[in-house]
Amino acid sequence: MTRTGRPVGEHHRRAGRPRARWGRTPDPKGDPVPLPHPDPSPGTASGARRLARQHPAALTWLFLCSTSGALAALALPAALGHTVDRLVSGGPVPWSGLLLCAALTLAETGFDAAAAVTGTTTSARLTAHLRTRTAARILAAEPRRALALPTGDLTARLTARTADAASAPVTAAGAVAGVLLPLGALVGLLLIDVWTAAALLLGAPLLVLLLRTFTRGTADAGADYQRAQSLIAHRLTEALDGADTIRAARTGAREHRRVLEPLTALADHGRRTWTVYGRAVGRSGLLLPLLMLLVLAVAGLRLGAGAIGVGELVAASRYASLAVGIGSLTGALGSLARSRAAARSLDPLLTLAPLPHRGLGPVPDAPGHLELRDVGVEQDGRPLLTGVHLTVPGGTSLAVVGRSGSGKSQLAAVAGRLLDPDTGSVLLDGVPLDGMEPARLRREVAYAFARPALLGTTVEDTIAHGPWTAAPDAVREAARAARADGFLALLPYGYATPVADAPLSGGERQRLGLARAFAHPGRLLILDDALSSLDTVTEHHVRRALDARAGRCTRIIVAHRLSSAARADRVAWLEDGRLRATGRHDELWEDPDYRAVFSTDTSAPSPLAAAEPR
Amino acid sequence: MKPGHDPARPARDTALRRVAREARPFLRARTGAILRLSGWSLLEFAQTFLSGYGVARALDDGFLAGRPATGLLWLAVAAVAVLPSVLAARGVFGRLADLVEPLRDGLVRRAVARALSGALGRSGHVGTRSLSQVTHQSEIARDGWAGLVLTLRSFVFTAAGAVTGLLALSPALLLIVLPPLVLGAALFLGTLPPMAARQRAYLAADEAYAAHAGELAASVRDIAAAGTAERTVAESRALADAQLAASRSLARWSAVRVVALAVCGRFPPLLLLLGAPWLLRNGLTPGGLVGALTYLTQALAPAVQALMTMLGTAGGRLVVVLDRFTDAPPPPADEPAREAAPPASRSAAREATPVAELHEVTFAYGPRAHPVLDRLSLTVGAGEHLAVVGPSGSGKSTLAAVLAGTERPTGGAVRWRGRPARPADATSVRVLLPQHAYVFSGSLRDNLRYLRPDAHDREIAAMADAVGLDTLLSRLGSLDAAVEPDRLSQGERQLVALGRAYLAAPPLLILDEATSRLDPAAETRAELAFATLPGALVVVAHRLSSARRADRTLVMDGPHTQCGTPGELLRSSALYRDLSGLWEPEEADAVPGRDVPEEARREQRRLVEERAIRSTPPPSPV
Repeated sequence: MTRTGRPVGEHHRRAGRPRARWGRTPDPKGDPVPLPHPDPSPGTASGARRLARQHPAALTWLFLCSTSGALAALALPAALGHTVDRLVSGGPVPWSGLLLCAALTLAETGFDAAAAVTGTTTSARLTAHLRTRTAARILAAEPRRALALPTGDLTARLTARTADAASAPVTAAGAVAGVLLPLGALVGLLLIDVWTAAALLLGAPLLVLLLRTFTRGTADAGADYQRAQSLIAHRLTEALDGADTIRAARTGAREHRRVLEPLTALADHGRRTWTVYGRAVGRSGLLLPLLMLLVLAVAGLRLGAGAIGVGELVAASRYASLAVGIGSLTGALGSLARSRAAARSLDPLLTLAPLPHRGLGPVPDAPGHLELRDVGVEQDGRPLLTGVHLTVPGGTSLAVVGRSGSGKSQLAAVAGRLLDPDTGSVLLDGVPLDGMEPARLRREVAYAFARPALLGTTVEDTIAHGPWTAAPDAVREAARAARADGFLALLPYGYATPVADAPLSGGERQRLGLARAFAHPGRLLILDDALSSLDTVTEHHVRRALDARAGRCTRIIVAHRLSSAARADRVAWLEDGRLRATGRHDELWEDPDYRAVFSTDTSAPSPLAAAEPR
Repeated sequence: MKPGHDPARPARDTALRRVAREARPFLRARTGAILRLSGWSLLEFAQTFLSGYGVARALDDGFLAGRPATGLLWLAVAAVAVLPSVLAARGVFGRLADLVEPLRDGLVRRAVARALSGALGRSGHVGTRSLSQVTHQSEIARDGWAGLVLTLRSFVFTAAGAVTGLLALSPALLLIVLPPLVLGAALFLGTLPPMAARQRAYLAADEAYAAHAGELAASVRDIAAAGTAERTVAESRALADAQLAASRSLARWSAVRVVALAVCGRFPPLLLLLGAPWLLRNGLTPGGLVGALTYLTQALAPAVQALMTMLGTAGGRLVVVLDRFTDAPPPPADEPAREAAPPASRSAAREATPVAELHEVTFAYGPRAHPVLDRLSLTVGAGEHLAVVGPSGSGKSTLAAVLAGTERPTGGAVRWRGRPARPADATSVRVLLPQHAYVFSGSLRDNLRYLRPDAHDREIAAMADAVGLDTLLSRLGSLDAAVEPDRLSQGERQLVALGRAYLAAPPLLILDEATSRLDPAAETRAELAFATLPGALVVVAHRLSSARRADRTLVMDGPHTQCGTPGELLRSSALYRDLSGLWEPEEADAVPGRDVPEEARREQRRLVEERAIRSTPPPSPV
């Protein structure tokens, strides 16, 4: 593995390297250097199979327990029948038979208890393992991989899907018992008397038919029910969003009624789901006992004919009820299918490749000279940036302007390696960004965004959050520079106020994000539209704080406002993902097209800006 | 506002008590449904009884006695008891719905009330908790409650049928069967409190992890940019491990539960066999023995298992979830019938009484926080037009809220039309439009009539012309058109809100940056429309052009305020000069003797250029 001091400035990036896409496994051999990672080979095995390899001993024990429990349960009716026969025949007390029954009962109980403990624990261990590993993979990879998924989807995968996937081994163990019991019971019936088994098999098709009608009916009623429910949730979300207006207009009671208006329909659909469910229960309540009685009648006739004994009739009745339990298998199969689907949805996350690097570090004491060489970025086959060549001398400032959709945010993301360009390379003081260790790169690059996610618990944590935890003095200094100290003093607990409880406006959040960046100064500071919600006076002061860093820190400022462009040392003007021109603002100003860039202020969120905290 | 809104609840066992307290009146009101449910369940009693007794008689009188026809007849009798199952199930589930759906209704009502009260009580504090209560948690409660009713009911009637059957076969059977049942039940009941505590711990750990996962998912970009991936993964691991520990603890107790279940369900048949020689000697027939075994294995054991599983899993969760609904606040109350307050007439506008006054008003967000407003006095004359300017965070919105009576000042007095401000008078005195306009899914007409439900279409049309809503109106087609808030731009939403306020024409209209998303031309049009109304207008301005239209301007800089005409303020307020310098350089340039540093002068020149471009209004965002 190479370290700092490698000849820099080469074209390190292999253009056209196949990129990992969702649902496809990246080729691990494509990375130049094997990466230090707890799980170095993102395998190709399916999620469930990989899971099974996690705790082999526990899983073997689990399967052993549930299988042994099922076998004990299968042996018990035969032993019971045998003992009853001996008891009824009036001979000496059949101690051996009684002991066998007791032993089997105890074995079944013990195995069940062991299976319950092992199963729950194993599921929990797998869940914890999967969750941590998924989170690690997401965060070690290039952010745009995870950002391709909506936040809600990503959250669901991290929570419900991991739990579903992790339950697979336990469900499978349950399913094995679920298959073993009815099949074994059928064999038991056959061994006792062919006719009893025939009676059961005759009724079985009816049973299958019944289970099918059940699932169909609930799906319909359930869909209506969920629709009404989401309508209520939707109206509530709207009303909560408009809380300021509702509070001022004192229309809370009216809104309460409006939100709850679909409740009547919800109750109606709810009743319908119970009716459907009740119909299915009624049918199975009819069919299962009739099936049992049919088997009993046949067994009774065979008993009368002297073909079997009383004990065998008892065993037959027991086996019949075990065989009928095959219905529960559909539930287990359903959960297995859900686990598989969950595992599949996790696969693309678990196979995310960590950011490649070559162990380089930043050049010591360099001013932050940034160079973009022929940088291109595309998304879903659509070019977002094409052939951008750009040099930002160390310690200077560069404003990035252009209409919305012109690739400004992509440029900002590429400049600090929040995004790896698909073609070309980015160099900081001559060292390619994709060669630097991510942890060391992060100490050199600070970002501020238009809508920052406020990480950490308190306001203080939020500002201190970064590659190193900023000291309290640095936090306050940064807050002053970002003009956040004023409103922070008004918060109920000042810097100790929990972020979640702080009533923050968009501009105030933006200033906390700026303070976070200011508290972690490196050689490169990138502001992706991070001044957009500030009023002009505040922006003016923040810009002064930024200018004070001239010479020490290279600043890249994505901006819409003319004043930002005018103030920067140089301006990069993007148009449709291409660099239309670079130069000083007053030079570019001659061009009417350039002036037109500033005539509107609207901007669509970029893919990187789309991940907003809810 | 307190950090961590859930005050620590007293001891753990009171959760059940809290839920029980509220459950009692709910169940008492539904005694009829419970009785009918029991009525339909009687069939289950008969079925269970015959399942064992029929088999016993079929064997003793039929198959073992060499009379197979009689045996078949007894089994047929048992089968006949099964036949009305479909009908009975319909009855049971109908009554079940009577018990379950009202519970869910009530829970949704409470969740909505809590969400609205929470959001309306304090600005900026809306938890996602309430939304999850509306959809997710109310469903857990619905399923859990239904499961509990079903299994409990089934257990009661099955057990009654089995016990009656055992009595009918031989009363001595109960001597053998009851002790393990009681022992197992006691063991099970003993596990309930510790398991409930562990279940609560597990759910709490689960929610803590889910909250973390949600934050992680929403902050992928920021975590990457801050370089804190490893720390975040460590947090993830810690939370996942905490949940694992809770699971382990729960699993150990579930083993105890399996044993309790075995004592109840699996030991009685064993004991029956052990006692069989003695029972058979004392008159129990072979058929009776088989019938008793049938009761124990086919009826009692499954019913006990179902009940224990239900109580142990869904039951524990049900209590935990229901407990979260116990402290719901009452729903927002209706306004008392609105006093006949027609839009203020021209003559009223000329009245000498000021429409609103602040006297020495102080406001702070917490006991340790610096005051946002510090002994501020202000008078808004009837029909006056006042602008409020200042940098963000200087307390403009707080002033608007205090003036409108939506925030109570920490000190001082607010008076409306000469009388102390009372919440009951609020809607007849003032309309406050916040920056974030509220538009709901519904017809455009309903949205526009929000503040004046009796407005005629004619008035709405006139308003649309005046305020500048005509473009939106023609785009949507008609007043009946359904408005989808997500499809409207922020500017259009603000126009809808302005239209409402125009229709309401209150004596005092407060616009808290309510035109911030409009372009300057649209803003001018709307503000000019309001100027023709007789009421007073207070505008928290975000452009100085809007402030310039006012009679007077209030400059706010934290607790320091100054009020006057633009000319006075240019002389007396440094901040105002600063603001006009940065907002409108021409005016600042006109100030004589002002020492403008070179840098600021350059900045101003640039802003003049900027203004030159901006003076052509940008195309409509639509």
